[in-house]
Amino acid sequence: MKLVAATLYALRIPLVEPFDHSAARRRCADSVVVRVRDETGTEGFGEGAPRPHVTGETVEAMLDHLAHELWPRLAERDVPGADTLDALAAFVPDVPLPGAVAANASRAALELAVLDCALRRAVRPASALLPPCRGAVTYSGVVPAGSVARAARHARQMRAVGLRHVKVKVGGDVAVQRVGAVREALGPDVSLRLDANGGWTFARAVEVLDALAPLGIAAVEQPLPRGPVEELARLRRATPVPVMADESLVTPADAEALIGAGAVDFFNVRVSKCGGLSRAFAIGRRAAAAGVGVQVGSQVGETAILSAAGRHLAAALPEVAFVEGSFGTLLLAEDVSVESVRFGHRGEAPLLIGHGLGIQVVESRLRARAVTVRELSGTR
Amino acid sequence: MDCDRFRVTIEAELAGQVASLTGCEDFRRLEDGRATPGEYDAFIESLASAHLRSPQLLAFLYALAPPVAADHLRHNLLEELGLDEESGRPHPDLLVDLLVGAGLAHRLPVVQGEADADLRRIVTDPLLYGTLRAIGLAALIEIVAFEYMLSRVAGRLARALATHRALPPPALAWFTHHSEVDVRHAEEGLTALAAYVDYYAVGPEDALAIAETTLRENVFARRYFRHFVVARSAR
Repeated sequence: MKLVAATLYALRIPLVEPFDHSAARRRCADSVVVRVRDETGTEGFGEGAPRPHVTGETVEAMLDHLAHELWPRLAERDVPGADTLDALAAFVPDVPLPGAVAANASRAALELAVLDCALRRAVRPASALLPPCRGAVTYSGVVPAGSVARAARHARQMRAVGLRHVKVKVGGDVAVQRVGAVREALGPDVSLRLDANGGWTFARAVEVLDALAPLGIAAVEQPLPRGPVEELARLRRATPVPVMADESLVTPADAEALIGAGAVDFFNVRVSKCGGLSRAFAIGRRAAAAGVGVQVGSQVGETAILSAAGRHLAAALPEVAFVEGSFGTLLLAEDVSVESVRFGHRGEAPLLIGHGLGIQVVESRLRARAVTVRELSGTR
Repeated sequence: MDCDRFRVTIEAELAGQVASLTGCEDFRRLEDGRATPGEYDAFIESLASAHLRSPQLLAFLYALAPPVAADHLRHNLLEELGLDEESGRPHPDLLVDLLVGAGLAHRLPVVQGEADADLRRIVTDPLLYGTLRAIGLAALIEIVAFEYMLSRVAGRLARALATHRALPPPALAWFTHHSEVDVRHAEEGLTALAAYVDYYAVGPEDALAIAETTLRENVFARRYFRHFVVARSAR
């Protein structure tokens, strides 16, 4: 069946409270959602979260890239059957975006929409392509940047919800005090990670990690800016805290370079950042084969679409150390699906077993929350 | 932290939430007449939807009420249902009067659908807490928050709708009723909250954390302005 139409929605959904980290301050979700439709009228929805400091994409660049580069290459073409993830992924081209590390958010949005459409047409769930290795997924909480008091407040809330894994955004001058306050509020049994979003120098990273290591830190995410992998490898040798790559891991080539250098203990694999489910899954499996741990990460303010994709990825990867995302209306003023994808007590969430990505997107909510809507015709 | 301190902390939190509501741009636009006719209508619909199923929520809370707060919650429930000696008509009927008086009778099925969907969502969403004790506390905090807010703001809302949306007094009976009775309800509600925490032995730190989670956003603005909050964020 041919793809005949697509709609792009640049969303602006207010967050329940601002979410800060060393690279950005977010008050609104700013994902781009793609809806594709085939000639039978079957629809599929995908989402990408453009992050200038990660892939180099902005909302406008993503809209233009989708409208002028990616969609014209798919319009009026037959979508492969929903038999293998790789065949569907190969259907979506990889077109460079000048000035960007990779146009991965754009590609992820379109790949997810095509995948959702193909699975719905075949009346099959995503597990047909990504068989789950587990029956449920356990999510982490994330403490955003801010004051010591605010960090402790968030940590108390996470303890009340029973979360077993928590990540703290660090980077400012009071990192040690903030993490100490979080550890005190959570108690000793909750696993604690740090995320510097590339905000430290090498010396600062060593200093802070040495100070925090006694608190029992399971990993530090992207302590240094994206750059030579040898710097991460050197830091890994210099600190007792396991190191995780995030902004340094965007492409498969990044993954190979990090593995080759023995630079990190963990990869943070994210569907939007890595260019779609297929590539994220491949990077996750490559990591496992190389003895590198995997975190399935998320995008701050992602909607139920990316959360659903992340759920499938986290369920399907053979070994997953940590999972993030599925905050739903804990973070968004309104989510876009009929059913809630938000995790529950202890961060636990069931697998999504419905057709396609397993959620029903409410198109009227997308339209109501979009600041830009672009209709793309089927003509190439 | 003892129960008295918990009550003081919650009251301070609620006062902050009310200040946040009355200080927000959407509220100010309603009050000073700058809102568009569509925004007044959206507000009326959101408010009706937010409170249309209050009897069901109060019935749930009555089922969990500690002995010393049971009378208060039962009285609230009967009042909501119009079965109390002094209360007059059921409150959901007063919300229908509001919609009809505003010329929005044709929107009633939509508003009822939203109220039902909200109730369904409460039941079907994954539970954040692991015990009925914690779930009940979170629900009670939200109900008390609305009583506290309405006791201070219902009159202002009614005046705004009378002045700028030309609603007649019969259509505003829901607001009048809440501004009068919720002063007492709010006080009793805070007492009931403290009693709940005490009777069910919720640790004060846990109680505070549940309160902070429940009130982490402005629950009033989210319910009352949900249809045009995106417009504000885009400005």
